[in-house]
Amino acid sequence: MTVAVAETWVEEPLRRFVDEARVLFALLIHPSGQVLGQHGFTRAVDVMSASALAAAIHASGSAIGKEMESAPFGELHHGGAARQIFLARTPTPRGDLVLLSVFDRSSSVGLVRVYFEELRGALAAAAPAAAPSPGLAATFEQELNRSLAALFGRAEPVGQPVPDA
Amino acid sequence: MTGPYQGALASVARQRGILGAMVVDANDDIIVDAAVRHGVKAPTVAALAASIYRKARQSAGAAGLGDTTFLRMEAEQGHIFAAGRGALVLIALAESTVNVGLVRLAMLQAASGLP
Repeated sequence: MTVAVAETWVEEPLRRFVDEARVLFALLIHPSGQVLGQHGFTRAVDVMSASALAAAIHASGSAIGKEMESAPFGELHHGGAARQIFLARTPTPRGDLVLLSVFDRSSSVGLVRVYFEELRGALAAAAPAAAPSPGLAATFEQELNRSLAALFGRAEPVGQPVPDA
Repeated sequence: MTGPYQGALASVARQRGILGAMVVDANDDIIVDAAVRHGVKAPTVAALAASIYRKARQSAGAAGLGDTTFLRMEAEQGHIFAAGRGALVLIALAESTVNVGLVRLAMLQAASGLP
């Protein structure tokens, strides 16, 4: 399975998740919408749309969770007729990340959850030394474009964490 | 134990050598109800075993053999059993010394009683 990454430390955990969970699409993003890795997308514009929507859904879910349970919801599953989405937050030493995955009948939400737990552990172990999560700063758009360029081969993925904003 | 699946679970779980029994959604591979010993990674076992059972069902169907009624996987230190009915799969995890025949019988009877 092919995964494209903007930061090299997410590559192996994401590749393993995609291989084992048999998802059609996977998108690993920062809650701000900045993309760290993806599988299945062929156009940058689709990655941009999906990451923006995933970030928005995650933000909404977190807000509703705080209202209802005093804590953000950790996972969201939506079962469609042919395809399903699983969206979940994963904490790492570099801050929370969000995984969006899309799968069909060749997988299941149970399997995706099992392998997502493994992904969480692998990301937490692979993450570079703790650093504050990047926020929306003056360089945000630049970083967004850089990560998209890296995902589609127009720039090298970084082997180091993204500099703090 | 109470609930619609506890009878089926209890009839399997009380067999000697059984480490756990689970009723799992056959489409989502998520546990509906379970009776397992402490230490069993029930969600992981359930998801993987139900997935294998679904593939076995598809394989048997593709081979023209009809529906899969019972599946046993033998590992170095135990067995995993699966028997399905409709949208549910009954899964049991057992030690290697378990009486396979008795478990098979109990599983098939329990599965036939699933709603």
